[in-house]
This record gives sequence, structure tokens and C-alpha cells, in this order.
Amino acid sequence: MIETAVWHYDGRNANRWHPRLVGDAASFRLIGEGWESGPWAWVDLRALDIAGRDAVFGHATEPGWRIGFADGVIPADIVPLLPQRARYGGFIDRIGLGKASMAFAAVAAAALFVGLKAPGWIAPLVPQSWEDGLGDAMVGDFGGRICRTPEGDAALNALIAKVDPEGQARTIEIANIPMVNAIALPGHRIILFDGLIAEAKSPDEVAGVLGHEMGHVEHRDTMAALLRQLGLSVLLGGMNGTAGSNLNALLSLSYGREAEHSADLSAIERMKAANISPLPTADFFQRLDPLDDDRRDDKKAGKDGSVESEAVEAANWFGSHPTSRSRAELFTKAHVKGRAYTPALDSVQWQALKTMCKRDRNVKPAMGMGL
Amino acid sequence: MDEHSGSAFAFEGSWKEYAPIAFSNLLLTIVTLGFYRFWATTRTRRYLWSRTRFIDDSLEWTGTGLELFKGFLMVLALIGLPFLFLQFGVQALVIRGMGGVAGALAVSAVFLIFYLGGVARFRALRYRLSRTYWHGIRGGADDGGWKYGWSYIWKTICGMVPLYLMVPWSMISLWNERWNKMSFGPHGFIAEAKVRPVFMRFLLFYLAPFLLALGVFAVLATRGTWVGSTFLHTNYPPAIAFIAMLVIILGVYALLGLIALAYYAAFLREGIGALRLENIDFRFEATTDDWLKLFFGDILLVVATLGVGWLFLQYRHWKFFITHLEAYGEIDLDALTQSSTRESRHGEGLLDAMDVGAF
Ligand SMILES: [Zn+2]
Repeated sequence: MIETAVWHYDGRNANRWHPRLVGDAASFRLIGEGWESGPWAWVDLRALDIAGRDAVFGHATEPGWRIGFADGVIPADIVPLLPQRARYGGFIDRIGLGKASMAFAAVAAAALFVGLKAPGWIAPLVPQSWEDGLGDAMVGDFGGRICRTPEGDAALNALIAKVDPEGQARTIEIANIPMVNAIALPGHRIILFDGLIAEAKSPDEVAGVLGHEMGHVEHRDTMAALLRQLGLSVLLGGMNGTAGSNLNALLSLSYGREAEHSADLSAIERMKAANISPLPTADFFQRLDPLDDDRRDDKKAGKDGSVESEAVEAANWFGSHPTSRSRAELFTKAHVKGRAYTPALDSVQWQALKTMCKRDRNVKPAMGMGL
Repeated sequence: MDEHSGSAFAFEGSWKEYAPIAFSNLLLTIVTLGFYRFWATTRTRRYLWSRTRFIDDSLEWTGTGLELFKGFLMVLALIGLPFLFLQFGVQALVIRGMGGVAGALAVSAVFLIFYLGGVARFRALRYRLSRTYWHGIRGGADDGGWKYGWSYIWKTICGMVPLYLMVPWSMISLWNERWNKMSFGPHGFIAEAKVRPVFMRFLLFYLAPFLLALGVFAVLATRGTWVGSTFLHTNYPPAIAFIAMLVIILGVYALLGLIALAYYAAFLREGIGALRLENIDFRFEATTDDWLKLFFGDILLVVATLGVGWLFLQYRHWKFFITHLEAYGEIDLDALTQSSTRESRHGEGLLDAMDVGAF
């Protein structure tokens, strides 16, 4: 038999009652002057964190229902029946703050690791048709900015036959955009920008860049990077700072050093199989590396007559790729002395490729791309 | 129950008592990559509410971290995913040369976010009231705030159109609209704030361009410059000129901040002062001076503790709010019966997500 005095809010009006609590080890009743309530089960009580010295308990299902022990004085026979106060919430209270923190930190580290690696694991599992659909939805036909002439197409196909003999890419096209850039889009598509073709001094250089992008296509790096970005933006509550243009986002997708290195190896492999010299590509990298001081001086002297703005420079291929001389060296080392390399295209084909965007009368201008 | 003295509200916490909560919250938030922050917010509120006395008993916060977390997930679903989709979709349309459609979609996205921002403001207040108990009784609102979202759009736009002159009207009007839908127990709040008491303070903003021009002129003067056909020359050494320039630039910013503070102080005084609940009148008595002290106190605290004090800003702000909050009148405890408003099942995630500058 348990009996003690408590104060009580019934959750129906704001009066504070002073009933007697009468009950046993399972439940109790509250008996006031002219009223009675219960039975209330001890297990339904919840310890509350209230200021002052009173010990206050609520009820799991009765909003506003409270009983309080004045000055925190609780009869000894009731103490074991009452719940403990929650501090941090949930299981943290059961195992303690220190252990819980370490457990959380371990889980967080694992989650970060998986979060960084998972896109690489998931990307190959995404059905090809989905990825194709995504790529088409994102860029379509580039708003009619894909350049086409019969001679140019023939030249491009000749280049593709050398760099992508197995036809791993769904489409490889040249867009009428004066940026020194190339991208691997979701859905096994590659777009070379006209600016890159214009900047290249030989078809071998274009073959090198194309080979590199083929590496990304082969390894499905674009899909992995997209997944990574999506995951990050969801994890971070997203949306902050990425509100820029989505094409820019694609251009600046970072695949990571490992992926870039494998793409370079793939390019070298492809060029070797096609008997294309890797030296021009090495030179191209060296020439256009934004960190290369020689080139800066060239620009200042206005040697090539083009005034590239900083913004355009930032948006070019080298803005999204690791800029290190080691990449150029990698291509230089792949060169075999004395080997009789053949050019990727003959000079007629090369001219056709270079002038394709200028000759195509139906192609839309690059303006309004939101770049 | 009579309340004669002017201290119906009192804050009885201490920062030493709060410190363990603040530090353990920080620790847990870090090791959970931020996920604990919903539970951290809840713990902080539970502490602050429980140390807030109204007449004879403390307030009680019954919100949970889980419902705040659910609110956050709802924001992701309601705004985040459509937003992401729109962002990708708009770009795709632009690339395909369908700029018109893209523009329309983008504008409607902005409006949607604007609208939801208004709804979120309303629901945050409703959520807080519905989780605040006193004597076992809580507050709330029957309204979901969906209509308020529209008011929020058109009143905000109307406020800005005539050279921003109607901003005080739109703010006061929205304040009244919001509070008139709120209740505590069986009683509805009545908000009758007027524009006139805050309007003069608002006009101070129109001095800002003149101050700015004056500032620019002063800056130029420190460096020496052509004004018209005369060259203003200074003999200051460059270092002093630079410092003077810095002081002037900071001064202009400080003045603008001061005006904003003065306006906000007047706004809250009027807003809360015109608030009634049955037989209780509320007052908020923080002057611009008080706000300044709070503001500089914040800066000093954070700087002097090398950033650690940042953990205590929420505590300071709540203490400031309660200390300057007063209530006069009578409460009939028998008539203060339980609120019949529906409790929203999720927290104010909508507002939380917007407040942190997610957009
Ligand atoms: Zn790459």
C-alpha cells in the first residue's frame, strides 16, 4: 500500500490540485477533495526536467497531466517505481555520453567513407537506359548547337574509329561553343567544344583529349560524380551554392585524382592501339595549363591574338582537371622512340573538322547558353 | 489570480547550469555530422523554458527532437527535391533553347519558395505555442497557415512597391494576422498593433542614402580627390588616411545597423505591446539601448572567448527576451482549459531550413 501527497495538473484546466496518491506497485489513484482519478500505471509516467526542486512526472498519453513531489521528497517505496530523467535522449542515456560519442564518431567516419566511395560502387549498377535518359534530359541536342557537315562528320567518324573502335560511346559530337573544353555526359556521350578544336594544333591533340574523355565514359565516372554531388547536396541540406547553371556544374564535376589518372591511362592505351603519338597531347597539356607561366606570358604579349577572360579560362577543360606537369610527363613517357606513328587524321580531314562549325549554316550560335 | 507587480515573467536559469547542455550538444552534433542538432535544439529549449517562470510556475517545452527531424525531412521532400529537379530541368530547357518555359518555371519556383517561407513562419509560431505548456495547458492554432502564405506574398510585395514606404505596414499587418490565429488554452490571442508607432523609426532608413553619400565623400576626402574642378588634397599620411577611411566605412555600416536596431526595437515593443490574451496584456520593454547592449555583449562574449561564447548566444537572447517581457492582468485558472487545437505532428523544420540560409 502506497500513500503520499502530490500536487497535480489534470491537463483539463490550469488549476493546481493537491490530491493524495494512493496505490500499489502497479498503479495508483489520485484522490482530491470531491474528486478521484485513475488508475494510473507507473510505467506510463515520464520524468520531466523542471526548474526548482520539485520532482515532476508527466503521463505518456495524457497531454498536460502532471504530478509533482514538493521539494523532490519522494517516499522510499515509490522511488523504484518512477522512471529516470532522460538527459541526452534515447540510447545515449543508456550507454553514457562518452561511449555514445565514440560510437557516433565511428559511424560518422564510416558513413563519410561509404559516402565518398559508394557512388563508384553504385554507378555501374545504374541501368544504362536510365543513364541515357538522364543525359538526354539534361542536355538534349544542346539546343541545336551540334555542328554537322558531311565532310566534318566523316572526319569525326574517322577519329572515333581510331579512339573508340569498340563504339563504347553512344555519341561523340562537336558543339558550337567557343570554350576550350570537352565533357563526358551521362549516358555515354561526349561533347567536344569547338573552342578546343580551334586551340588544338593537330588532330593528335584532339585524339588525346577524346581518349581521356573515353576513359571517363568507360569507367562511368560521370554517373559516379553526379551521384556523389546529389548525395552531398542532400546530406548538407543541399541547394546552397549550387544554384548556378547545371551545365557549369557538369563542367566542374570533379572525378577525383584517381579517376583522372585512369582516364589518362585509358587515353594512352587507346592512342597506342591506334598508333597515334602521345607527344602532341603532352604538348597540348603543357601549352594550355593555366598554371604554366610561359603561356601566361604568351597571352600578355597577345601572341595568338585572342583575349581570353579569366572567367572563360576558369571554365575550360583545365579548370576542372588536375593541372600538373606530371600528366604531361605521363604522355611524354608513353612515347616510343623510333616508332612510326601515324597522324590521327590527314590534313584534309583535319581541316574539315576545324571548319565544321563555321561551315554548318544550320547550327545555332553559342549565345544564351547560360554559361 | 492577481498579478500586481510588473514581473509576471522571470528568467531563473544560470549559464553555469546551461554550460553542460551547451557543450554536450556541441560534442554530439559534431560526432553525428550535424544530425543531433534537432535533439540539441530540443534540449536547449527544454532547459530555457523550464527556467522561465510565469507568475507561479515555470513553462514547459514538450517538443521532441524526432519531430524536428521529421520536419527537416519534410522540407527536403517539399522544397528540396522539386528545387533540385527544377534546377536541373531549367538548365536542360535553356540548353534546348526553350528559355521561355525555363523562365516561367524558374519564376514559379521562386514564388513557391516565397509562399512556403510565409507558411513556414506561421507554422513555426504555431508549433512553438503547441509545445509550450503552463499549468498543464498548451497553446496552438486551428489554422494551418496556408492562407497566411498568400498574405505573406502580396503584403510583402505591396510593402516594397512604393519605395519600400509600406514595409512597416506589411510587417505589422502580417504580425497581427499571424497572432490573431494563435491561441492559448481556450483563448485566442488578439493582436492590434498599429503602424504609426513604428513608422517614424522606419523613416530613418531614408536618411541612409544621405549618410552613404556623406560617407563616400568623406572617404574620398581622406585620399584626396577631384570634386567638380577642384582637387581636394589631404596632408594626412597614408596610414592615417586608410584608418580614417576604414572608420568611416564601418561608421556607415554601424549607422545602418543602428537604424535597423532602432526600428526593430520599436516594432517588437508595438507588436508585443498590442498583444492580448483574454484578460492579460503583454508588454515588451527593451529599448534601442538594451538591444545595443545585447548586440555588443554578444560580440564581446564571442570575441573574448575565442568563439566559445557562440554556444551561449541562444541562452542570452532568450534571457533578454524574457527579462524584458511583462504581462499584466488576471488569469482565471478554472476558465483556462486545455487547448482543443490540433497538434502538428512535425516540428518547424520548414522555418529552420529557411532560417539557416538554405537558399
Ligand atoms: Zn577528366
